[in-house]
Amino acid sequence: MSQWTERRPSEDFYRVLSPDGSIEGEPPDISAEEMVDLYRSIVRTRIFEDKALSLQRRGELSIAARSRGEEAVAIGSAAALEPDDWCFPSYRQTGALAHWEAPMDRAVAGLMGTEPETIDEHLPVEDPPEVNFTPTYVPLAVNVTNAVGSAMADRFNDRDTVTLSYIGDGSTSQGDFHEALNFAGVYDAPAVTVIQNNQWAISVPAHQQTASETYAQKGEAHGVPHERVDGNDVFAVYEKTREATERARAGEGPGLIECVTYRMVEHNTADEPSVYRNEEEQEYWAERDPLDRLETYLREEGHLNEETIEGIEEEASEDVNGAVRRAREVPTSDPERMFDHHLHTQSWTERHQRGELRAELEGRNPFTDFDGTGLAEKDSSRTDGIDGGEGR
Amino acid sequence: MSRTDAAGSPESTSEMNIVTAVKETLGQEMRRDERVRLLGYDVGPIGGVYRATEGLHEEFGPERVIDTPLSENGILGTAVGMAMRGERVVVEIQFMGFFYPAFGQFMYTLTKMYERSGGQLEVPLTIRLPYSGGIKASEYHSESTETYLAHTPGVRVVCPSTPYETKGVLAASIRDPDPVIVMEPKSQYRSAREPVPEEEYTLSIDDARIVREGSDLTLLTWGAMVPHAGTAAERVDADVEIVDLRTLSPLDIETILESVRKTGRCVILHEARRTLGLGAELSALLNEYALDRLHAPVKRATGYDVHMPGHTIEEQYLPDAERAQYAIEAVMNYEF
Repeated sequence: MSQWTERRPSEDFYRVLSPDGSIEGEPPDISAEEMVDLYRSIVRTRIFEDKALSLQRRGELSIAARSRGEEAVAIGSAAALEPDDWCFPSYRQTGALAHWEAPMDRAVAGLMGTEPETIDEHLPVEDPPEVNFTPTYVPLAVNVTNAVGSAMADRFNDRDTVTLSYIGDGSTSQGDFHEALNFAGVYDAPAVTVIQNNQWAISVPAHQQTASETYAQKGEAHGVPHERVDGNDVFAVYEKTREATERARAGEGPGLIECVTYRMVEHNTADEPSVYRNEEEQEYWAERDPLDRLETYLREEGHLNEETIEGIEEEASEDVNGAVRRAREVPTSDPERMFDHHLHTQSWTERHQRGELRAELEGRNPFTDFDGTGLAEKDSSRTDGIDGGEGR
Repeated sequence: MSRTDAAGSPESTSEMNIVTAVKETLGQEMRRDERVRLLGYDVGPIGGVYRATEGLHEEFGPERVIDTPLSENGILGTAVGMAMRGERVVVEIQFMGFFYPAFGQFMYTLTKMYERSGGQLEVPLTIRLPYSGGIKASEYHSESTETYLAHTPGVRVVCPSTPYETKGVLAASIRDPDPVIVMEPKSQYRSAREPVPEEEYTLSIDDARIVREGSDLTLLTWGAMVPHAGTAAERVDADVEIVDLRTLSPLDIETILESVRKTGRCVILHEARRTLGLGAELSALLNEYALDRLHAPVKRATGYDVHMPGHTIEEQYLPDAERAQYAIEAVMNYEF
C-alpha cells in the first residue's frame, strides 16, 4: 500500500519546512515570537485533545475527535486571520480555536454535552477571541456555504474582513462544497476555504473519494484560485493562507487551499483505524509530524530550548487541567433548556410542552389537560428567549 | 387574536393583487432597512418569474437584488451566512417543488443556528415560497408540501391568503428575528384583488384570522383554499365559521380550540396530501383538547396521497368548494 492514497501520489506541493526541520524555501515574514506561538498552539491542541480522549475513555465525554498530526493545517491557516475576521470551523480544527485563545473550559463543557445556555451562564466569555468563531459545525460542508454567505455580506457592505472555513477531503464530495465555491467565485466573495486532506474519510481513502488528481484542482472549475501545500508544514500553510486572505481583503475574491496532511489517529473514539490502515503508512507519516519539524527548526534557530519547551508544555497542561476542572463544575443542564432558543416568541405548543416536561420531572401526570388550558400548575412564564411570551 | 393590527387611513389604499402586494412590500421594506437584500434566480432585471420583484433591481441595484446561480441549496446556504452577519435576506424559491435541494441547509443551519448557538446567532431570513396547484404547470410546479417544513422546529411557516394579508404578513416576516417561510398561494396571485393600504403595516404572524364567524361548524383552512372555503360556506345550510390559519407553524392553537369548542364541529380543508398533512395535527389537537365538545368526527377535505398528477386531471386532485361542501354536509348530518 502506498503512503499516499490519492490517485496522483505526489509531493507536488508548496513546502517551506522539510520533514527534517530544514528550510527549503523562504520562511514566512513573521517574528520569532510568532513562530513560537505557532509551536505553542500545536502543543496546546495536542494536550487538549489527548485530555479529551482520556475524558472520553472515562465516560465524561460521549465522543472525541482528535487532530494529531494535522494541527498545522488549522493553526497555520487561522494564524493568517486578522482581528474581526470570521472563522467557520468544522470539528477537527481545535487548533484554530486554540491559536486565537478561545476559552478551553467552554469547549470542554460543550464536549461534555452541556447546553450552550448553561455554558454561557456558568462560564461566561470574559475575553472573547479577536477573531469571530461560529459554533463548531458537526454536519459536513454546510459551514463552507454559510462562510461564503458571510463573505458576501462583507463584500456587499464594503468591509475588509475575510471569512475562513474548513472542510475535509471526504466532504469535498458534498454538493455544499461546490455550491459554496461556485457562489464565492461568482460574487468575488472574500472567502478562503481550507481543505484539510488527511487522506482518510473514516475508512474511505482519498483515491476512492475522487478521480481528481488533487483536491486543490476542484477550485479550477469554479474559477477559484487554488494552492496545494504541505499541510504538515505550518509555515507553508500560513504563507499560502496569508496570500489568499490578502487577495480576498483587497477585493480580489476567494481562495482555496488544499493542505495535504494525515490523520495519525482514529477518526473519532468510535473508530478502529487498524482495520483499514497499515503500520508502514503510519510510520511514513510519523516521520512527517508537523510538531517535530517545527521544534527542530526553532531549536536550531535558537528560538526554543529544553527549558522553554518544558515551560510551554507545563503551561498547556495546567491550562487544560484548569479548563477541565471548571467545566466539571458546570452543573448538568436543566432539562427545560431543551426548549430554549427555537423562536424568539413562545408558542402555545412550547408553553404547553414545557409544562408537560415539568410535570413529568416532578412526578405529576403530564396528560391531564383535556381542554387545552394547560396543566394545573400555571407557572409557564419562564422563557430564556429574548422576547419570550410576547403576543399572548 | 388580532384581525387588523394596523392599517393606513382608508384614503390611501390602492387596488392590489397578491403579486403587486409582494412587490410593494419588498420595495417598502428595502427602503425602510438597508440590510434587506433579495436573493434568488431571475429576481434581477426581469423581476422574477412572477414579476414579484419587478423594478426593484433598477431601484436598488445588483447588490441588493441579487440574481444567483441556479442552486437552491447554494442560495439558502449563502443567505444563512449573510443573515448570521446581520443582513435581513429575503430569498425567492421559484416553486415549492424546487425547495428540496435546499433541505440540507434548511435542516442543518437555517432552523438550527439560533438554537445551537444558545441564542448568540440569529438568522433573520425570509423565504418566499410560491406553492399551490391549479395553474396547469408541469411536474414539481404545483405541490403543497408544507408538512416537511412545519415538522421542523426553529422556523416559522406562514401563509397569507389575500393581497391585504400578504402585505402585512410579509412585512412582519421580514422584520421578524427568526427564519420565516412565507408560502404564497400562486394560484391566487392575480385572481384576488382588493384595496390595500399604501402605508406600511404589519399583521401578527402569531395569530390566525377569523374570516367569517359562525356557530355550527369550524372550517380550518389557509392560503389558496380560503376562497373555496368562502364559497362552500355560502352554499351549505349551516352557519360556518372560517378560520384562516395564517400561521402553520407554530399554530395559533388558542384560536383554533376556541372556535371548535364553540361550534362543536370541524372540517379541515387543505391542498396538501392527507396522510401527515397539517390536517392530521389539527385533528389530533381537537381529539386531545376538544373531544367532549365535538358533535361529530373531524373530517379532512384534502388532496389525495399521490404525487401531484398531470395538469389534465389536477382539478380532480385539488380540493375545492365542492369537496369542502361535501365534508361540511357529512359532518352536519352526522349523529352520534
